[in-house]
Amino acid sequence: MIQINELTKIYKLTKKQMIEQKTKKDLKRAVDNLSLVAKPGEIYGLLGPNGAGKTTALRCIATLLKPTEGNIVVSGFDTVKESEKVRKKIGFLTNEIKLDPQFSPKYMFEFFGKLHKVDDKLIEERREKLFSYFEITDFQDKKIEELSTGMKQKASIAVSLVHDPEVIIFDEPTNGLDIVTARNVTDYLKLLKEQGKTVIISTHIMTEAEKLCDKIGIIINGSKVSEGSLEEILNRTGTRDLEDAFFELYKIHNKEEE
Amino acid sequence: MDGTKHIIKKELTRIFTDKKMIVSLFILPGVLIMVMYSVMGGLISNLEEDIETHVPTVYIQNAPEDFEDVIKELDYQANITYINSQDSIDSIKDDILIGDVELLVVFDEGFKETIGSYSSLGDAIPEVRTFYNPSEDYSGVARSNFNGIVLNTYHHYLLTERFGNTEQLQVFHIDRDPEAGVIVDEGKASGKSLSMLLPFLINIMLFQGAMALGMDAITGEKERGTIASMLLSPIKRSEIVFGKMISLGMLTSLSAVIYAIAVVIGIRNLSGGAMGEIASMTFTPLQIIQLLVLLIALVYFYVSLVVLVATFARTQKEAGTYVTPLYIIVMLGGVLTMFSSGSERGLEFYAIPVYNAAISLQNLLVGELTMPQFGVAVGSLAILASLITVLITRAFNNEKVMFNA
Repeated sequence: MIQINELTKIYKLTKKQMIEQKTKKDLKRAVDNLSLVAKPGEIYGLLGPNGAGKTTALRCIATLLKPTEGNIVVSGFDTVKESEKVRKKIGFLTNEIKLDPQFSPKYMFEFFGKLHKVDDKLIEERREKLFSYFEITDFQDKKIEELSTGMKQKASIAVSLVHDPEVIIFDEPTNGLDIVTARNVTDYLKLLKEQGKTVIISTHIMTEAEKLCDKIGIIINGSKVSEGSLEEILNRTGTRDLEDAFFELYKIHNKEEE
Repeated sequence: MDGTKHIIKKELTRIFTDKKMIVSLFILPGVLIMVMYSVMGGLISNLEEDIETHVPTVYIQNAPEDFEDVIKELDYQANITYINSQDSIDSIKDDILIGDVELLVVFDEGFKETIGSYSSLGDAIPEVRTFYNPSEDYSGVARSNFNGIVLNTYHHYLLTERFGNTEQLQVFHIDRDPEAGVIVDEGKASGKSLSMLLPFLINIMLFQGAMALGMDAITGEKERGTIASMLLSPIKRSEIVFGKMISLGMLTSLSAVIYAIAVVIGIRNLSGGAMGEIASMTFTPLQIIQLLVLLIALVYFYVSLVVLVATFARTQKEAGTYVTPLYIIVMLGGVLTMFSSGSERGLEFYAIPVYNAAISLQNLLVGELTMPQFGVAVGSLAILASLITVLITRAFNNEKVMFNA
């Protein structure tokens, strides 16, 4: 279970970042008063354009960033006060966090298993299961730097699940993957959901959100502008698919911001 | 502290399973140091040999007749040209200036006659003048050889001619056997020459090792995005910091040992006998313990310094820029000890980091390191390193530092 209560995250921009982002304000409100609840046995999808604040929100859940305001509770633990306990419960995947390229997927799996204090036998068992599901077994001893993007991503996913976490946070999990591998990943997420895990993902791929997510939260400029099941969102916006719904919302809310 | 253990294991595996890393961190610098010192040694001994064997070109003006006989008897090796008082010596002086001629010796005109007509106090005493160029190695050696071998003998020869028995003039001897008069503590003497070079080398090598490894292990991992995956593990940030620092300390020490061996092999070639000096140096058990503790404190301090810089740097390039001034300070600390002795410094000097390590090592090598000096040096290094470790742990908890957020 993930509970985000009125989360606001403000970054202080350096002069260089201000020039890059063409702004005169030195503060950037990446996430603005965001509240949501993701329940076990459910896939929650954060949908939004690039820079909407999806990754920031997920990093706050994963304890890597501290909320400027508000708080987040994961499996009953506060992400700031009990960050270590939170990290025990979560599996986090994001593009910017990578596995050491000099090691093999097998070594990394075992290393992180040990850091999570999983015992050796269990590590072995899980490795066999996950590596065969994601078809990593054949290249498990190759150095990660020698692997293709898809293979790397699959290895990262497997490693993030080494401790069988009850909360899964995947930031754009199918980014850069071919359709076969992407399908492989989304199927596994469904499997995790069926096992009663709490799954939260971020994506900007509408079809993925449509097919995969039980609940969708649309984020524009750091604020949640709509939330509900696919049906609820379509009804609310009077549209036929998620892409149309998104653009309806985008028209209204992006203007407000300007 | 289980996390620390696993991280140390991983860090060491990372280095030792990577052939390129082993070559670039350990083998290449070691070989380079060895080759550098050997080449330096070879060049120096070649130079010395060349000067020794060089046959000087010497001009002698107004040489007395018996002087030539003396030279023949002495078997003095030189291309000697005898010239008259009418000959100009200006062009010879020019040649000495440009290094074509090594020495010009000018006897006063009527040298022997002046000596022969001496009878009482106040009578004229003739002069032999030597012209040479001290900035030319050949010239300097030619002059001192000529004075020592030829003129001395000729002087003695003329004295014998005048007095018959020269024992009257000798009055007393000074050190007929100079070697027998040397009273020296062998350990201290060999330590003295090493104490000039070693603190400098140890300082630089330790820092160099920490620098090369630390920037890759911290900033490199930040850049590659791999450190974040560790930050996601359910272990304390301090465990990660300790894991990184301990593994770095171990690798730094190892690289320093390899560099030291390379230096020793190189130095053997450098001066031929210096290896014997190192072998003849004896340490008491206390000194060995002091040396080890001092080196551990120094490694801890340098590793913490490098890790601190590497943690705050966003890219390895940036880390390189930040760490260079520190490297220069470390070198300076070592250089300062090369030209001074540590024993007369006050205790407060032993609290100055970097410098204290250099002077403590210097004193230790000559057997003069006192316990208070040792204590202050190790204490101040350890306290400072601990403070820096606290800072590093804080930085690891800082999202702005770790994620550029």
